[in-house]
Amino acid sequence: MIVCVAVVGHQNNPLYIQSFTEADDALKLHHIVHCSLDVVDERVNNPKKSGPTLNETFLGLLYPTENYKVYGYLTNTKVKFIMVTTDLDVRDADVRNFFRRFHAAYVDAVSNPFHVPGKKITSRTFAERVSTIVKSFGLNAAG
Amino acid sequence: MKQYTNVLDRPISKGKQEVSLSGFAFLFSELVQYNQTQVDNIAELERRLEDAGYAVGTRILELLCHREKGNRRETRLLGILSFVHSTVWKVLFGKVADSLEKGTEHEDEYMISEKELLVNRFISIPKDMGAFNCGAFVAGIVRGVLDNAGFPAVVSAHFVPVDGQQRPRTTILIKFAEEVLQREARLG
Repeated sequence: MIVCVAVVGHQNNPLYIQSFTEADDALKLHHIVHCSLDVVDERVNNPKKSGPTLNETFLGLLYPTENYKVYGYLTNTKVKFIMVTTDLDVRDADVRNFFRRFHAAYVDAVSNPFHVPGKKITSRTFAERVSTIVKSFGLNAAG
Repeated sequence: MKQYTNVLDRPISKGKQEVSLSGFAFLFSELVQYNQTQVDNIAELERRLEDAGYAVGTRILELLCHREKGNRRETRLLGILSFVHSTVWKVLFGKVADSLEKGTEHEDEYMISEKELLVNRFISIPKDMGAFNCGAFVAGIVRGVLDNAGFPAVVSAHFVPVDGQQRPRTTILIKFAEEVLQREARLG
């Protein structure tokens, strides 16, 4: 189950953070997202030449903490998507699919002429689409 | 081709991907006229058109990266230049740009030339405006794409007279920032 998704701009400024648990640990999730940004920067600046290709957008599992897994995705404009999940067995294809749909929703939100790049995303449509994608991720993984 | 017995099962077509040229020409001429009333000199007008193009550039980069490029990110100079030269031009103007050249005098200069920019098709510049080019809008688009992809540059549009042709050719001059060249040299 996905507990949190975040969109972080290219200067590491938060553009959109949303948590999907009823519990009140939003602060802990923010902290986890913040720490994972360092891992993203490390992966980008010191690429493993033998590993996946240099300019892949999907970064994969960033780091596993006690009971969370954090996945990252980097777009061409240095905007990062972070996804925190509690599932223990998550298929790679599912996560890639999730990020693809998330990227589509993000592109639509940014194409809004009233959106100022660098400011937080305040579109309600974007929030609704994200929660739909998050819900369907849980269903696909379980089924 | 599958034959659909029920007309409701047929997939919906993507629709025409074209926009009316005259509609765009009128809208662009209004943009230039509106900006002209707000400024005092030509440099300011050029800057405003460029800023308008910059916003278009950022959005088109996001859209194209998601739609066309799949999972790749551009990290090399030639990669991003050929991306601008073919993919961006194709989406915006329906064809690839006429040519992409490397500047001979300076290491950091590249030029994209076009026989006739689409935005300039119905515009003729009055003599007293000197070297002003409404292609500053397209220069702004290119700057928006390069800037947000991590290649900061100064982009400008110039007229280059060609023998044998009545209307001069337009060249978009791209001058990359120092850090881009250093990074490119480091990547080898």
